[in-house]
Amino acid sequence: MNRWRKVSVIATFEFLTAVKRPGYLIATFGMPVFMVLYAGVVAIPAYFATQSAKEPSVWGVVDTAGVLGLTDSVSVRPGLPEEVAKAIRMSGQEQAVQNAFMSENFVFKPMAAEAEARQATAAHTLKGYFVVPPDYLTGGLIDVYLQDATGIAFDDSRDAFADIIREQLTARVAAPGRDRILHPLKDARRFRVTRGGELSDGSDAAGIVKLVFPLVFMVLFLMSVLMTSGFLMQGTATEKENKVVEVLLASANPDEILWGKLAGLGGAGLLQIAVWLLILMVSGLGVVPMLLATDIKMPWAALAMAVPLFLVAFLFYGSLMLGTGSLGSNMREAQQLAMVWSLTAALPMIMMMALISAPHGTVARVMTLVPFSAAPLVIFRASTDAASLAWWEVVAGFSILVVSTWFAIRIGARLFRIGLVSASRPKLSEILKQARLRV
Amino acid sequence: MVVLTYDNIVKSYGSTVALRGVSFDVEGGEIFGLLGPNGAGKSTLIRILMDIIRADSGQVRVFGEPRRRDHLDRMGYLPEERGLYTKLTVTDVMVYFGTLKGLSRTDARRRAAEWLERVELPHVASWKIERLSKGMSQKVQIASILLSDPELCVLDEPTTGLDPVNVRLVQTLLLERRRNGRTTILSTHQMNQVEALCDRIALINQGRLMEYGGVDEVRRRHSKHEVRVQTRGPLPQVAAVSTVIPEGERDWRLLLDNGVAPAEVLTALVHAGAAIDRFEPMLTPMEDIFLRVVREGQA
Repeated sequence: MNRWRKVSVIATFEFLTAVKRPGYLIATFGMPVFMVLYAGVVAIPAYFATQSAKEPSVWGVVDTAGVLGLTDSVSVRPGLPEEVAKAIRMSGQEQAVQNAFMSENFVFKPMAAEAEARQATAAHTLKGYFVVPPDYLTGGLIDVYLQDATGIAFDDSRDAFADIIREQLTARVAAPGRDRILHPLKDARRFRVTRGGELSDGSDAAGIVKLVFPLVFMVLFLMSVLMTSGFLMQGTATEKENKVVEVLLASANPDEILWGKLAGLGGAGLLQIAVWLLILMVSGLGVVPMLLATDIKMPWAALAMAVPLFLVAFLFYGSLMLGTGSLGSNMREAQQLAMVWSLTAALPMIMMMALISAPHGTVARVMTLVPFSAAPLVIFRASTDAASLAWWEVVAGFSILVVSTWFAIRIGARLFRIGLVSASRPKLSEILKQARLRV
Repeated sequence: MVVLTYDNIVKSYGSTVALRGVSFDVEGGEIFGLLGPNGAGKSTLIRILMDIIRADSGQVRVFGEPRRRDHLDRMGYLPEERGLYTKLTVTDVMVYFGTLKGLSRTDARRRAAEWLERVELPHVASWKIERLSKGMSQKVQIASILLSDPELCVLDEPTTGLDPVNVRLVQTLLLERRRNGRTTILSTHQMNQVEALCDRIALINQGRLMEYGGVDEVRRRHSKHEVRVQTRGPLPQVAAVSTVIPEGERDWRLLLDNGVAPAEVLTALVHAGAAIDRFEPMLTPMEDIFLRVVREGQA
């Protein structure tokens, strides 16, 4: 029987067995339901907070210096930065985002005397009041009086009050100059200059996409590795406990079993993640129009490399985890043994801050050539600045990963054979002895 | 035709030597008994044959060639410590094992149904394995191995835990395989089964081959020179018989001189005018041979 047909028989069996498990179905379709419920629970207090925010927050102003010249109440509502607001408008999500994120609506009411303001604050008809002293223009000191229970809301009201003062103080300045004083960086455009001297979009949103893409890649990769390793551990531990392994090994060699399990259970793990992603996309938050609106250049080079790098790295970690995990005599031991690979896979995420500060520094360059971190690092560096990532680094990183994966599968298969036929955890000397023999 | 050859197989686990240069052949179409006490090295020999573990040295030849992985498709193996996927249905498990041996899914499904009929369990086809009794589970395992009709099959204690009716059923299946020219290696401690089923045996103790050959040949080798005779009259005195022990009015036990064949004694008795109703060379039971070899090994 053809080797790959045997792999396909094992893969089909493992895949169908995994996806028909009630636990798998619950996790695959129950997780999004759980997330929606969780979001609902989290949203309830946020909803009430938003509702209360719609009620204006009224503050008194006792202007003994007469610098503000308020005659009636003034309303202030802080806005989002212009760049973000533009993207939100284009996405058609303005109302939803405003409801979710906009700050309180502040009202500043002129008061004739401090006693009156204090009385209103004590009666909770005012949140508090500001007293502008006669020497404010020279000293800049303002007294603020708050209700007992005002808490941290004071910071927002102070910023809003500062806006009022700024507007009043500049009332006599001519129009263009006044606008620049009030909004010195209202419409800043940012560009980045690449090493090749070319200009690229340097906006915050573009920077975020450059980081979000590799971050999503790392999270998905880590989730795939961890989830699939769970399936692999469970499957192998069950076969050891059920004593099916010898029958299996008498029908297929460890290489074939390992490939079959990786393909079948890996497929089940990837399917689960695909379902989650699909549900996330279907339930969409208008992210795509937002990205299009901001004229962001997508990291196409990184996108193109993502799939092959993902698959090879997945095989690399999967075979190591399966081989190591099979040495355990039960599920718990198997998970403990395979833990080292989970931690290794998480290393680029753990080191994310260091990598962001120097995406093409020595640490990043070294990690690109280490098989354990090559895939996420190539994607990360290609996303942040593809021009600074030398072609030979991509080729070398990918080649090292492919060669390491070949070795990982061979080593994994040997460990797998040793682990499967050992009732208890084999000694290191036995592992080394068996590892010397061909698979 | 020889279908399996073990040639000077050596295997050790750490400092424990499991096999010390074991060599023997298994002929095609026979039921071959692989015997030995616990820890003798039988399972190691079987695992080496099935390529589950590797020998330190020596060679295994199967179907006239050095053993290759693809030979496994023509072989079946029922291990002593066995089990099935408890959460799956009987048919799913049987189809999986069948397809692993190269059958198409359709063929495997058809044969699974046929074999469940043969082991008298057609009603469990859709049952989950965990619902089966121990005996049922064992019959399903045997059926799972035999459904691909392997040319060479190794069964390690296939009847342990079965009731006499099912033991008889399994024996019938094995004899049927022999009639069809299929080879079966039967590893068992039940010596009555060896005498009833096996054509030849290999007895291993402490990693060494202690006995090897046809069952009757081995039994004869270990038998004292002894015959049982039943006559219609008195027993005439003949040469080459050292002692005559009466065991009844017409029954006699004769101890023969060394080197004398029972046939020579029979001829002599007939020539001496004895009216013989029964003449039976006494063969030592396999169980006695087994015990003797094991004790000698311990000594």
